[in-house]
Amino acid sequence: MATDLYGGKSDAPVSSPARALVPQPCQLVIFGAPGDLAWRKLLPAVYNLNVDGVLPSHFAVTGFGLPAEGGVQGEPDDYLRNRAHNGIERFSRRSLEDGHWADYSRALFFVPGSFNDARAYAQLKFRLQAVDQQFGIPGSRVYYLAVPPQLVGMCVSRLKEAGLINDPGEQHAFTRVIVEKPIGRDLASAREVIQTVGAAFDESQTYRIDHYLGKETVQNLLVLRFANSIFEPLWNTKHIDHVQITVAEEEGLAQYDDAGAMIATRAGYYEGVGGLRDMVQNHLLQVLCLVAMEPPWSLGAEVVRDAKVGVLNCLRALTSADIERNVVRGQYIEGDVRGKRVPGYRKEVRESFAVMNKSLPPESVNSTTETFVALKVFIDNWRWAGVPFYLRTGKRLPKRASEVAIQFKDVPQVLFNDHPEVPLEPTVLALRIQPEEGMAMRLACKLPGPKVRIYPVQMEFNYTASFGGEPPEAYERLMLDVMAGDATLFMRRDAVEAAWQFVMPILEHWERARVRDIPEYQCGTWGPVEADRIIQPDGRQWRTL
Amino acid sequence: MSTKAPPDTRFVCPLGDVERELTRQMRALQGAGSEPLQRARMSNLVIFCSSLEQSIFVNEQVYQLSASHPARALLVVGEPGPAERDVSARITVRPVAESGSKQFACVEQVTLHASGAAVDRLPFAVRGLLIGDLPINLWWAAPQPPPLAGPLLYELGEYAQQILFDSIGWPDPARGMAATASWLEQIERPGGRWRVASDLNWRRLKYWRRLMMQALDPTSTPGAAESATEMLIEHGPHAVIQAWELASWLSRRLGWTVQGGKIVSGQEMEMSWRFKGPPGEARVRVRRLEQGPPEIRRVRIACKLMDRPGAIVLAVGDGQRLSMSLEGVEGAPRTLALPPHSAADLIGKQLSDRERDPVFRESMAVAQVMARSLLH
Repeated sequence: MATDLYGGKSDAPVSSPARALVPQPCQLVIFGAPGDLAWRKLLPAVYNLNVDGVLPSHFAVTGFGLPAEGGVQGEPDDYLRNRAHNGIERFSRRSLEDGHWADYSRALFFVPGSFNDARAYAQLKFRLQAVDQQFGIPGSRVYYLAVPPQLVGMCVSRLKEAGLINDPGEQHAFTRVIVEKPIGRDLASAREVIQTVGAAFDESQTYRIDHYLGKETVQNLLVLRFANSIFEPLWNTKHIDHVQITVAEEEGLAQYDDAGAMIATRAGYYEGVGGLRDMVQNHLLQVLCLVAMEPPWSLGAEVVRDAKVGVLNCLRALTSADIERNVVRGQYIEGDVRGKRVPGYRKEVRESFAVMNKSLPPESVNSTTETFVALKVFIDNWRWAGVPFYLRTGKRLPKRASEVAIQFKDVPQVLFNDHPEVPLEPTVLALRIQPEEGMAMRLACKLPGPKVRIYPVQMEFNYTASFGGEPPEAYERLMLDVMAGDATLFMRRDAVEAAWQFVMPILEHWERARVRDIPEYQCGTWGPVEADRIIQPDGRQWRTL
Repeated sequence: MSTKAPPDTRFVCPLGDVERELTRQMRALQGAGSEPLQRARMSNLVIFCSSLEQSIFVNEQVYQLSASHPARALLVVGEPGPAERDVSARITVRPVAESGSKQFACVEQVTLHASGAAVDRLPFAVRGLLIGDLPINLWWAAPQPPPLAGPLLYELGEYAQQILFDSIGWPDPARGMAATASWLEQIERPGGRWRVASDLNWRRLKYWRRLMMQALDPTSTPGAAESATEMLIEHGPHAVIQAWELASWLSRRLGWTVQGGKIVSGQEMEMSWRFKGPPGEARVRVRRLEQGPPEIRRVRIACKLMDRPGAIVLAVGDGQRLSMSLEGVEGAPRTLALPPHSAADLIGKQLSDRERDPVFRESMAVAQVMARSLLH
């Protein structure tokens, strides 16, 4: 039976893949609704879910927050509707259609207010109750905290004070909260955030989102591994030579219009944070968990999450010597991306702060924030003993491309592989996370003709090409999961802490080193040359994506 | 298949939209329906041309090539001139069909153009358009010898497993040959990223070399190889390097070592080298004919045949056959079919043949010594 990720048979056994839970009637309350995330991702994602007909029968969206420009002109609800309309036009997977829009927009509401204003929460409460009544919603709420990390604590405290959080045992009118990354900026602050949220919400009500886990290919990792008989027997140190996980971004810190003027910047968040915290600690380690985890005994959320955290607990702790040898960071300098000249990171930071009308912090004058990180890690368990996992992420690389590549061990050096001068290309299973989600298997094949000549060929599977249409956006899947109460694809607190625990020695080592400069790479290249030194001595190469 | 590329629609688009536009064009070409797109691509083929005129010729070859080696072709044109602001991209999508079949697959080509200082930005554009996991080949179609091309070649060939070039018509053969052997050593050095460099001219010599080996085989002409003292190679315009490569190859096979060389300018341009071989002094002459196609036309190897002075002569007959005859020995000439090879055929074969060729490298090492003897 096909698995229906959006509903399916609710009476199926728990361990069956058809166990997908059904989204329940609720209100989605977006904190920071005027912000970038809501505009680009959340509001278009809910529109797509509406078009697909998978939203609960009784459902509405209420936005909360204050626009950056201050107050709202005209009707508040119209403000959010206009914002959503614009976001869907620009970013939605599905095009805007009048009928669907009319249906969607009538369930969109906005309450303007400051996150620290108790009166605003009172207004919010009043409005939520009115919307509940209007749409027949039983008082269930999903609070999406699309706000800067420093405001998370304030929002949850105010929600609690305003009596907007129901008891976790309340089945009829549930309350759930979605917390965006980053969860803290180190282990101590992560624990603080976890505790603050935990003071208002039970762990069972808390959904820490990592949108990478909502991508089809990432979810398909489990299906690939555990629904196909050929892979799992090979998925171990005996047959796998190494694994490479790459998350490459084309974008830098800032975005520019065609005339070269800066139109958006993430400097306020990214500067001083860097790629290790922004990407490795969450996205890459989460993907690593899915690649390396032991088979869970069921698809129950806690069982899968137990298996994932098991991987994090087996990561070999890095000593200072390991970090020197196996971790490389870099920062981009001026170069070319897609035929356009783009400035270096430090210049972007300076210009960003000027655009934001903020003074440049002294430590950012010659910033050593890393925009590229590459590292080699080992998982010390029976399955993966001795298999290196090479992780790599960076900004302003030649293309936007994320993949997991499983490279299998070479065949013995006899028959077709007996000539060391002409090595056979290794067998590689590459799982593309973005763009063009899918997978490809590289195999050696005989070229037609009288001579035995070996040529690498690709067996490809592409989601769009095979199934038609674009696969759902990660946010669509994840928001639906929260409405259904399925926490499988969300990070549990122990996983967040374990991931921080792993990266902390690197952060502390860098902090102690206090270098004035870190390795540089030109925009539009695959990172600093120093990254080669963690892989080439092993007789391997970074993959060309 | 016709030899002329059919008129195709080309789409100019920003570099960032190339992938989306390629998919869109392929879908349009394939027509309505939900069948998966059929894309044919065996490798990434990066082609560098240093002029638009040259790229027109190359474009034709790429079209023909798609029948034997469909690839993601990135035709890179970097011209001298005023700097353009951005690198421009043009997209071409073509169908390749199996004969007798209604089904077809799409072959994709992206033409990148830049001029002046913007040429330095082309390698960045190429990096963003390569398809991971497919072999990467660089076809250096510019007339400059690759070793003398500067950093652009290294940047375009950064991830290439094969660098193809064609030494036909190099403007300064001696300098080109002198530089190529060292460059080959560097490109194919053990321990680094696995890579091979191939000259299409060397591939053109395949049938000549085969027939020569048969001609000098001790079982058919006993003592001929050991007694050879002189080799004369006659070639048409632009084929001097082809002749040179054949001379260096045969010299090495015969165990000759270079003693000196000179250029003789007369009615017909000739290069001449003195060698030391097992029987003593030996001589190699490479003579350019005033007219004719750009290829080797005739080779004469003076040697002893049945203990008497004679010669082995190989010559192109009617253009389709290579013949071998023995001077001083009666008998009908032996012939070998010489299949016509377009540049596209040669490239298609070379792209599939990715093994390093130690014989080519050894021959080029001899060719380098021959070149130095002319330059000093």
